[in-house]
Amino acid sequence: MAEAAAVAAESPAGGRARAARAVLDQVVLPGEELLLPEQEDADGPGSAGERPLRLNAGARARVRVVCGPGLRRCGDRLLVTKCGRLRHKEPGGGGGGGSGVYWVDSQQKRYVPVKGDHVIGIVTAKSGDIFKVDVGGSEPASLSYLAFEGATKRNRPNVQVGDLIYGQFVVANKDMEPEMVCIDSCGRANGMGVIGQDGLLFKVTLGLIRKLLAPDCEILQEVGKLYPLEIVFGMNGRIWVKAKTIQQTLILANILEACEHMTADQRKQIFSRLAES
Amino acid sequence: MAGLELLSDQGYRVDGRRAGELRKIQARMGVFAQADGSAYIEQGNTKALAVVYGPHEIRGSRARALPDRALVNCQYSSATFSTGERKRRPHGDRKSFEMGLQLRQTFEAAILTQLHPRSQIDIYVQVLQADGGTYAACVNAAMLAVLDAGIPMQDFVCACSAGFVDGTALADLSHVEEAAGGPQLALALLPASGQIALLEMDARLHEDHLEQVLEAAARAARDVHTLLDRVVRQHVREASILLED
Repeated sequence: MAEAAAVAAESPAGGRARAARAVLDQVVLPGEELLLPEQEDADGPGSAGERPLRLNAGARARVRVVCGPGLRRCGDRLLVTKCGRLRHKEPGGGGGGGSGVYWVDSQQKRYVPVKGDHVIGIVTAKSGDIFKVDVGGSEPASLSYLAFEGATKRNRPNVQVGDLIYGQFVVANKDMEPEMVCIDSCGRANGMGVIGQDGLLFKVTLGLIRKLLAPDCEILQEVGKLYPLEIVFGMNGRIWVKAKTIQQTLILANILEACEHMTADQRKQIFSRLAES
Repeated sequence: MAGLELLSDQGYRVDGRRAGELRKIQARMGVFAQADGSAYIEQGNTKALAVVYGPHEIRGSRARALPDRALVNCQYSSATFSTGERKRRPHGDRKSFEMGLQLRQTFEAAILTQLHPRSQIDIYVQVLQADGGTYAACVNAAMLAVLDAGIPMQDFVCACSAGFVDGTALADLSHVEEAAGGPQLALALLPASGQIALLEMDARLHEDHLEQVLEAAARAARDVHTLLDRVVRQHVREASILLED
C-alpha cells in the first residue's frame, strides 16, 4: 500500500536522538530527545589562533545551554515534554556566556506561575496581613499589604475582595505557594497595583498574549488607532481593557479574542470596516 | 456464534481487514474552547471524546493533595446510546470505575507529575459509540487532550487491543471479535522508550501464545503512534501559522 510506505517514510524519530540545531523551528513531540550542540573552542575577540591550554586534549568543551519551557535535561540530552515548535535564542551580551536558550513554543490555556512574570490577579480573600489573589494557576498567590508603593503599617492600601491587581511574582516555583508584589526592586509601583474601576477582564490563550506583547506588534498599533483605550496584559492569559463607552470596550475585547483565529488580511478588513463606521 | 468466521482461510477478518491491520483512525485536537485541552478520536466505529482540566487546585478535601506530585483524576463514562442496547447507567458502575483506574495508571506513568505538586489534573473521557477497543480509543483521545492542554509529559502514550484466533494474533479488535469470547489484550505503550504503561487481559490465553499477541499489540500501538504523531504535528502547524502572522 503506497500510503503505508509514505507513512513509514514520514514516521517520527522514535528513540533516535537528533541534533537540536537540526530541528529548529520544527514541530517536536514529547518523547523526542535532542542532542546539545558541542561548542568549538571559543575564540576570544581579537585573539587570532590562540587556544587555551587543555589538560585533556581530546575532550571538547560542553556548552552551557539554558533549558527553557517544554524541555528537560536527561543526562547530556534534552528531553521534549510538550508539543510545539523548537526555538532558539542566542545570548545577547557576547558569545562567552554560553550558547543561548532552547525552548518549545507551545500553545496553552492554563497558566503556571513563573518568577518575574507580570500578571493580573483577582483578590479572593483578606486574611490578616496578606491578600489571597487568584492568578489562574494551581494555587492562589499571596500578596502582602506592605508590597504596595507608599504602604506602611499605618497607611494600608485600599484593596477590597474582588479588586483586580497587576503585579509580578517574586516567588514562583513548584514547591512553594506563589508570592506576588506590586512594587519593583526600587520600591516604585511602575504601573503595578490596583487596576481602576470599570473596564472588562477577559481570558485568552498564553500564546496570544506573548504575540501581543512582542515588540512591534501590528495588532496593538492598529487597535490604538481605532479608539483611545487603556489596556493591561497579564502573562496569565488575562487582558483588562477600558475604552470610553461600553460598546467600544466590548468591540475591543471581541477583536482581541478573535485575533488568534484570524489571518492578517482578515484582521485588516475588520479594522478598516470599524474605522469607517 | 455458529457460522461466524473471525478469520477466513484467505486471512481476512469479518470487516475485511488483515490480521495485523488497524481500523481507520481520525482524530482532532482542540475541539472545545472552554476546557484546557480536548480531543476527539474515531477508531473505525468507536468514537471517544476526552477533556482535560489542569493542573489546578485540589477540589474536595485538601487532605488528598500529594506533597511531591500532581493527583491525576480520570473519569470514564459511556453514553447511553453508545452500545447496541441502551445503557441504563452511564457512569458509576463497576466498569466505569475500573476503566478510570486503568486510565489513571496509564497517565501517571506518562505525565511528569512531579512538576506540579499539590495540584490536580482531571481527565474526563466519554465514549460516544463503542465498537470494540474502547480502552485504546480512550487512551489515545486522552493523550491528545493532554498534549493540547500543554501538560508536560515524558513520552507519547498510544494504545491498542489485540486478540488471538486460530493461531493468529489479531490487532485492533472490533465489537464482533470481542463478543466472540476469545482472549483480548489491551496494551498501552510508551513508544520512544519501548516501555509498557499498562497491559491488561482477563481471559485465558496459553503462555506460549502470549509473546505473539503482545508483539502484535505493540506493533499496532506503534502504528497508532505514527498516525497520531501526524495529527499532532498538523495541529501545531496550523495553530502556529496564525500566531506567527
